[in-house]
Amino acid sequence: MNLAPAHTCGSSKISIEEPLEIFLRELQTHSPLSSDDRDAILRLPIRLRRLDAHSYLVREGDIPIHCCILVSGYAYRQKVTGDGSRQILAVCIPGDAIDFQNMFLDISDHAVQLLTRAVVADIPRDAMQELVLARPAIGVAVIHSTLIESSVLREWVVNVGRRDARARIAHILCEFAVRLESRGLASPDGFELPMTQEQLADATSLTPVHVNRVLKTLQADGLISRQRRNIQFTDWRALQEVADFNRRYLHLPGEDELAVAAI
Amino acid sequence: MSQSNHLEPLLRRWSKHCEFSVEDRDAIRSLPYLRKSFGKDAYIVREGERATECTVLLRGFAYRQKLLSDGDRQIISFHIPSEFVDLQNGVLGIADHNVQSLNHSEVATIPRSALLEIADRHPNIRRAMWIDTLIDSSIFREWVVNVGRRDSRTRIAHLLCELVLRLRRIGADKGGVFDFPLTQEQLADATGLTAVHTNRTLQTLRREGLIQLTSGNLSVLDWEGLREVGDFDELYLHQQL
Repeated sequence: MNLAPAHTCGSSKISIEEPLEIFLRELQTHSPLSSDDRDAILRLPIRLRRLDAHSYLVREGDIPIHCCILVSGYAYRQKVTGDGSRQILAVCIPGDAIDFQNMFLDISDHAVQLLTRAVVADIPRDAMQELVLARPAIGVAVIHSTLIESSVLREWVVNVGRRDARARIAHILCEFAVRLESRGLASPDGFELPMTQEQLADATSLTPVHVNRVLKTLQADGLISRQRRNIQFTDWRALQEVADFNRRYLHLPGEDELAVAAI
Repeated sequence: MSQSNHLEPLLRRWSKHCEFSVEDRDAIRSLPYLRKSFGKDAYIVREGERATECTVLLRGFAYRQKLLSDGDRQIISFHIPSEFVDLQNGVLGIADHNVQSLNHSEVATIPRSALLEIADRHPNIRRAMWIDTLIDSSIFREWVVNVGRRDSRTRIAHLLCELVLRLRRIGADKGGVFDFPLTQEQLADATGLTAVHTNRTLQTLRREGLIQLTSGNLSVLDWEGLREVGDFDELYLHQQL
């Protein structure tokens, strides 16, 4: 799993002909769409933007005017508490809709920031609203995606609430791998998690020092191997066990096995 | 007669943020449903179940939870009357967590097919359901923050603030006093703390003159103080809608 898209995303090389193709692919993993519906999605008016790492896609308190799809690159959702500590709430991968909640909620309740360089497609909020209301099948598909996101959030409450540090980190690695795999973004060579140890710490409510220690023990125990940020799962089954990982909450089609297991 | 329709509280809550036509209202009132009651801690939905119906809480409280393989439990939300406890299952088809009755509760179960059909035919109702699930998501995000990055006193105060505002929204405010059937163990499981720690924290909040907790009732003595301790900003509840 060499995440090529993460690195080519900012370059001019990206396939811009059908930027919404990957979004369509995501919708169709759970919701079959007619060719009319597919065309309607691909015909949406969009504006493409290439952005640098750390750019904000949405800020807390924003009044949304467009919905945005991550075409390539990675992002994360975050909130900051009153005393300034940050909690990362989700990692967004290519094909994810960044802010569909803002389609019907009038104010953004959290921020979304890029982890890497990225290309995003902005869809006017009105056009998106119109589309989902006019085409029930697309409406259901989009709701389905937001509900899966919601399920992932529930799992994150459990992760930070009741798992120890080792399980938390292992869980986030398993989730990332399975999601990439499901979107056809994995390669057999392992994958690169485009997060610093500080960001991993903010996603698991640990300190960076603790994250560093856990990654080292996971490596020492033969569950993962690391070269810079490239991570390979040397014992996928054991890693899932350490993580207490059950992929049901991702609501992916198909059986519980994963091609990554063959690594 | 509409008075005897048990879905009236749901309609009333939805009407706060959605405009419905007469046809929309009639459609909601004509939804088929079955009434059921559950005892304390009885399972309303079990993880892994195929969803054939969605459940509106009519009386009492409920909570969603997930169990870890070592038996630990994390509560991921509380629910109050007029709320769906499992609307997402109507679309997802399979339950990814458990829902339990918190005290003695009464619910109305609506067949999944009837809900999907009404959503299909009535864009306003579709929108109302959508908003419900989106606000659920927003609350889950806040809970990740609460459990992940706030200290125990702030966590508990935050959770109390949230419940108070949601109860107020459905008109369950009895002059600053609220039904509060949550046990300290449940509060602990919702905040990722131990029961002992939760108990100590509640006593602190009491001593500070912020709340009073007596036999199933929560009195808020100092709302502004509680909000401040709880690092509470109600934006995420989207009640301005």
